[in-house]
Order: sequence, then structure tokens, then C-alpha cells
Amino acid sequence: MLVLCVTTVAQAQIPDAPNPPRLVNDLAGVFTAGQVKLLEDSLVSFARRTSNQVTIVTVADLGGMEASQFAYEIGEKWGVGGSKNNNGVVILVKPKTDTKGEVFIATGYGVEGVLPDASCSRIINNEMIPEFKNNDYFAGVVRALNVIMPVLAKEYSIEEYEKAAEGVPPFAVLFLAIFVVFMFLLLMKDHNDKDNDRNGNSGTFGGGNSGSDVATAILLGSLLGGRSSGRGGSFGGGSFGGGGFGGFGGGSFGGGGAGGSW
Amino acid sequence: MKKNLFAIVAIVMALSLTSCDYNSLVEKQESVESAWSQVENVYQRRADLIPNLVNTVKGYAAHEKETLEGVIEARSKATQITVSADDLSEENIKKFQAAQGELQQALGKLLAITENYPDLKANENFRDLQAQLEGTENRITVERQKFNETVKEYNTSIRKFPTTIYAGWFGFEKKGYFEAQAGAEKAPEVQF
Repeated sequence: MLVLCVTTVAQAQIPDAPNPPRLVNDLAGVFTAGQVKLLEDSLVSFARRTSNQVTIVTVADLGGMEASQFAYEIGEKWGVGGSKNNNGVVILVKPKTDTKGEVFIATGYGVEGVLPDASCSRIINNEMIPEFKNNDYFAGVVRALNVIMPVLAKEYSIEEYEKAAEGVPPFAVLFLAIFVVFMFLLLMKDHNDKDNDRNGNSGTFGGGNSGSDVATAILLGSLLGGRSSGRGGSFGGGSFGGGGFGGFGGGSFGGGGAGGSW
Repeated sequence: MKKNLFAIVAIVMALSLTSCDYNSLVEKQESVESAWSQVENVYQRRADLIPNLVNTVKGYAAHEKETLEGVIEARSKATQITVSADDLSEENIKKFQAAQGELQQALGKLLAITENYPDLKANENFRDLQAQLEGTENRITVERQKFNETVKEYNTSIRKFPTTIYAGWFGFEKKGYFEAQAGAEKAPEVQF
């Protein structure tokens, strides 16, 4: 009985599911508007393509709850993932303020197998916390998605990640990859533009808002595709402005996942 | 005679009025049983992690014999107590919870001493095990909570009138809950 009472109290502090539904819920305000849009677009197109729903939630305060419980309650209450496959993931970030920063990756019943607790813990310690320590929440989240999304899509296994993590590619290599992809896309764009529009400011660096958006999208895309060569830029590119997120699917969680703090 | 007839009619009426109620009781009992199997799964998951954990700790802290043996002993005691899904009485659940509580306490002690071994704490294998163990404890909390919710629903419906009259005849008995984390079950805090 007492347990039930505690649950009700706890749920009162859990934010309601966003309306209209969104996958990125920056309640703590750690991302810029552009970053939110980028993450949202990437995750929505990922959800469409693979049916896995990954939601990112940042909160300023956990209301005295454990991060693990908070993340679990969000997953269960919002119904992240499909109700049949229970393929949802909640990434909860409580930024460091006067109190310590906390992060938790909660996995739905259906993804516990591809994303075991120990791997969530490694992703947090290797990809997220180092960036969060520099106050770069966006980079930490992108690096985690970089691992989580291909694993969920079964494009590569978590074992491959763990092996690769032993020799993390230096940032320079990553940048080179990004640059190559960027130049490639720029050339493509230029090529296309020649047919349509020759007098505008076509294909220039950082033209307007959309230009920089594309640049960041490519950056995100190559970050997301970075580890396995040749797949760079497959994320984030595609479905821009193709409609919003359809809504959570009623997935269920069983307490799986791992957390960390800094 | 007239009185008997009246009683029979009343019973028949009650039963016919609530015949769907019987089916819903069966369904509720089924969900309690499936929630119980989930509870058993997560406890089993914890038991399965322990040999590996004990071996890893042993490699760094072999002389903490007492604590290590305490865990092994508590594990074997806890795995001996199983409760079948059709006998989820309050007494049985209490026994089960007590045995698992002892194991949790022994594990808490073991994790507390690992704080004194920085090499162990830096060991990748140990860190993985620790994450798995924490995840399993979270799963235990969740599945117990879900179990309690289904039991509550079931217990409430067998006590409702008129179901309460015949629930007993068909063997629908009150089932036990997990109690909120008692002091004994909480992992001891480490004080420095």
C-alpha cells in the first residue's frame, strides 16, 4: 500500500507528455532552438524509418527522485516506443547546477537486449559525461545518439561499439570526415543549382539561416554516422520539414538502463 | 421450503448478473500470475549475476572472505525459496521477500567494501557488473510495483459485493503484496 502511495506522489512530479507530441523536450533549456530542431528532425526521421522512439528530456530538477526512477516514469507515463515492440528509449539529462549533474538512459522492454545496462553505462561514461563536463550538452547527446541509433536500427551491434571504443578515433579524423562529406554535398548542391538558378547566392557558405542549418545537419549527420565509414550523412539529411512527430506509441518500460553523474 | 426456493433464486440471479464478473476475475488472476513471473525473472536475473560478481571481487579482495561467503550463502538461501504462481498468499510473499532482502543486504555489504579497492573499481568488468546489478535492482523495484498494482486490482474485485460471496467457492483468494522497502532491505549506507 505504501509503495502505491509513493508511486502516486512520485508521478505528480513527472512532466506530462508534451502536447503536441515531441521527441526533444528541453525543459531545462540547455539547447539552442536550432539544436532542438536538429535533434527533433533527426529523431523523428529515425522513428519513421525504424519505428524506434528515442526521446530526450532535460529537466532542471528531479524533484528529489532518483534519475533512474524519473526516466522510467517518463517512459512508462508517456508510453515511449511502440506498444507491441516496447522499443522506446528515454535519455534524461539533469544539468549540473548547484547540485550535481545526472544523466540516465532508460531502455524499454524491447530494447534491453540490444542495449544492455552495461553498454548504456559505457555510453554515458565515454560519450556523454566528458562533453557535459565542458558544458556541451548538445555534443554529449549527439555522441550518445551516434552510438544508440545505429545499434537500435541493428546497423551494428553494441559489441562492435565496445571494441571500437577502445581506440576512439581522434577528433581530427572525425573532422576530416565531416569536411569531406560537407564538400561533397556542397558540390552536389552546386551542381544541381547550375540547372535552376545561376544568379542567386547559390551554394555559398553560411548564406542564411537555412544554409547554416544544413551545415549543422551535415555535421550532425556525419557525427551520427561517423564510426562506420561510408555511411556518413545518412542521418539528419533527409526528411526536413516533412511533418512533425506522430506521437508516442504506448511502449512499456521495466527499469532497464543505466545512469551516471558528474 | 419457500425460504429455500427464495435463496436459490437469489443465488442464481446473483450468478447470472455477474457471470461476466467471473471471467474478469479469471483475467485479473492471470495478470497477477504473469506479473509474478516477471518478478521471479528479475530476481533470478540478480541471482545469475552474483557468481560473476563474487569472482571478480575475489580477484582483488580475496581476504574479504566473510563478506564474500555471506553473499554466496544468502544467494543459495534466496534461490531455494520459490513461490508458485497459484499460491501467492501473504505468508508466502513475506517469506520470499525476507529471503531476497537478506541477499540484498549481503550484496550491499559487498559493494560497500569494494569502495576500498580502487583497482577493482577501475576494472572494466567490475564496472559493467555494477551497472548490470544496479539495473537489476531498478527492475526489481519496477516489477514489484507492477505486481502490487495488479494484486491490488484483483484483491479489490474479489472483495466487492456480490463477487465476494462466491469468489471463495471458485478458489479466488486474497493475494499478498510486497511491502515497501523495510529498513532491513535497504542497502546499508557507507559512512566514511
